Amino acid sequence: MTKIISAKHLAREAIEDLWKGFMRYEAWSLLALHDLRQKFRRSMLGPFWITVSMAILIGTLSLITTTLLDRDPFETLPYIAAGMIMWSLLVNCITDGSTTFIDQESYIRNIPLPISIHIFQMLMRNVIMWSFNMIVFICLLMIIRPPLSGNTFLFLLGLPLFLLNIGWIAFMAGILSTRFRDIPQVILSVIQVLFFLTPVFWSISDLPSRPAFVTYNPLYHLLEVVRAPLLGLRPPLTSWAVCLVMAFFGTIATIYLYRRAYARIAYWV
Amino acid sequence: MATITITDLTVDFAVFGSRARSIKDTIMEQAAGGLVTAGSRDIVTVRALDRLNLQINDGDRIGLVGHNGSGKTTLLRVLAGIYKPVHGSARIDGSVGTILDPSAGIDFEATGLDNIYLRGAILGLRRKQVSRLIDGIAEFSELGEFLHLPMKTYSTGMIARLTFAMSTAIQNDILLIDEGIGAGDAAFQDKAQQRIEGLFSQTSIILLASHSEELLSRYCNRRITLSQGTLIGDEPITTHGQVV
Repeated sequence: MTKIISAKHLAREAIEDLWKGFMRYEAWSLLALHDLRQKFRRSMLGPFWITVSMAILIGTLSLITTTLLDRDPFETLPYIAAGMIMWSLLVNCITDGSTTFIDQESYIRNIPLPISIHIFQMLMRNVIMWSFNMIVFICLLMIIRPPLSGNTFLFLLGLPLFLLNIGWIAFMAGILSTRFRDIPQVILSVIQVLFFLTPVFWSISDLPSRPAFVTYNPLYHLLEVVRAPLLGLRPPLTSWAVCLVMAFFGTIATIYLYRRAYARIAYWV
Repeated sequence: MATITITDLTVDFAVFGSRARSIKDTIMEQAAGGLVTAGSRDIVTVRALDRLNLQINDGDRIGLVGHNGSGKTTLLRVLAGIYKPVHGSARIDGSVGTILDPSAGIDFEATGLDNIYLRGAILGLRRKQVSRLIDGIAEFSELGEFLHLPMKTYSTGMIARLTFAMSTAIQNDILLIDEGIGAGDAAFQDKAQQRIEGLFSQTSIILLASHSEELLSRYCNRRITLSQGTLIGDEPITTHGQVV
């Protein structure tokens, strides 16, 4: 087993690091599960607290919008549930992602591991949390029984595209935040604003015409490719296109950034 | 045959003050053309290793000495693959094990047993392989039923014993150790020493960074002295094997 450590092949090593990190799935799944187990240790409901608090949030938002906008609660509830559940996956990944390397400082500086493993661990943890949130949506489906259609299967296409996109955004945020410590704060405040600008708890059908801050809002399109199928609708072609283009260029840009930052992350943390 | 060949190894550190990491300053600096804030940008580049050349052969038990900040830990981190050099190279033949900070990655809220499994997963072991190690670790660390309790309930000695037992449970061709090795109370010392000797005898190359002359003379046969990132001394330790 020969290993050569030099400054020459760092760009290639960065790519290898991504692959090696991914292949350590046993480690990052265990670490992700461990994170959650620790978070809810000794609490009675355990991880079902995620489910309960999401249910309360969805209920409250639905109550407000149905009252304010005089809408049909049976249409509003699944819409807000699907929107909020996917939105919280997106937000949690991006905010967690921005502090991943900083939080794992002691690992990065003392234990030889592929650095990308921390990103996979973070994504896995959030996907597990998302599955607890999905319980709310599934319960709603069973109670309300909205008309499901073949479009629902499009979720199986939308979800990987959605995950790929939030994956690169979180990864990029993680790299930049490690170097520039203001970025996690910037992300927190921007995300808060985007929550109101993106039709998550309100719908564009409430408006006479579609405003520019929705049309040109990439997060709207990202949300649409997973939310529409969950509601039995077909996501618009524009949304698919936006998500595909974003995934393509975003992934390339992130890999490029990682190739440049890879050798420095251990020094930055 | 395990060997390490270090050629012209150079490592630079950018040490950031809190100001330099702020994006505002970076942007301001660009906007001001680097004129106004040129002097206030507090990134200091420290050359931690400076054109280091070193040949380490099978059987070498190296004691790395030098003042704080002389580059001992940096060298170990480079050989572990954590820090990347800016120049030069290190060619390593053999598997590398590290004991850099024994408590890194330990979750004190979790039980000792959970921590063993976590450590195993981090080292790339399968669950079955870890299960096989557990009895040995439990017996050696003398923790018994305490393994099922959160590590925050352990005494300092118990924590030291467990981290020591975990760090020494796995064999590699090359072992990098920072700031000594050892654990717990007097009664445990003999046992720990036996285990260290057992582990060392099956390890081809050892690099031990330490300030303790006693450790060096007990375990090492070659003393490498670093100062400001350069090699200033390389001599055999003749008292090897004797207890001082």
